Amino acid sequence: MSPNRRVVIVPCSGIGKTFGTVSREAAYTVVEDLRPDTTELVALSLLVLGDEEARAAVAGHPTVTIDGCRLACATKMVQESGLPVARSFTVLDAFRKHRDLKPEGISSLNPEGQKLARVLAEEVAEAVEELGKSET
Amino acid sequence: MTEFLELTVDKFTFRFATDRYYHPEGVWALPEGEGRVRIGLSDFAQQSGGDVAFAEVKPVGTAVAFGDEVASIETMKTDIVVPAPVGGTVVEVNPALEMSPEAINEDPYGEGWLAVIAATDWEADRARLLDAQAYLERVREVAEEEMRKR
Repeated sequence: MSPNRRVVIVPCSGIGKTFGTVSREAAYTVVEDLRPDTTELVALSLLVLGDEEARAAVAGHPTVTIDGCRLACATKMVQESGLPVARSFTVLDAFRKHRDLKPEGISSLNPEGQKLARVLAEEVAEAVEELGKSET
Repeated sequence: MTEFLELTVDKFTFRFATDRYYHPEGVWALPEGEGRVRIGLSDFAQQSGGDVAFAEVKPVGTAVAFGDEVASIETMKTDIVVPAPVGGTVVEVNPALEMSPEAINEDPYGEGWLAVIAATDWEADRARLLDAQAYLERVREVAEEEMRKR
């Protein structure tokens, strides 16, 4: 693990759900594009399984969850793993702010869904920036 | 205190308040006296539709006939046109829905109500609605049909 990757991103694991896809696309955009040097992606399933490396990654750094829907599985699962959540985002909230960006598709998002993922990713990236500053 | 019937189909459990009537399209109607009828989405309708992102109810003063669109609800999955379960005039709209449309998901028979309609002829419209048990049976048919399609 790179010492520079200080903020952990945990997206929704909802399979077969459009908003789950948006959450994961947003997470990939943050980790691979917007904040590649300061973020790390951790799989929710590994946390739930109690994977030691995943738990260590979350335990040692601020964690941002990105949920698809109001069930908020990512946030709840991280918390139920006994780990703190520094910030949580939901695709539903992002959609409420950008009604024109209604996502469709599951394996492949429509253009609106891709834009929504990008907008959400930018919000998450700002939070990462703030958390990075507050950590130092 | 409101009592409920419950129906479980596969992993889903739906509740039906027994103190009100139901339009077959999943809209409940609760008479409150003096011709006022409160309306909202049934638990089955809200669960089928998914998380509500936006709820727009016709404004106070709008006249609606039985079955007319009285509200439109946009969820993560679909757009729902809500038919009026009673004809009359919209006299109250749930103000909380503008900021918290998720109330429809969280408390469909309570805080998530949509509107109050001053009914033109409640008794005539009530005869076209289903009671909780009849609506439950209708939902059972619909839900089981959906399960067979999967």
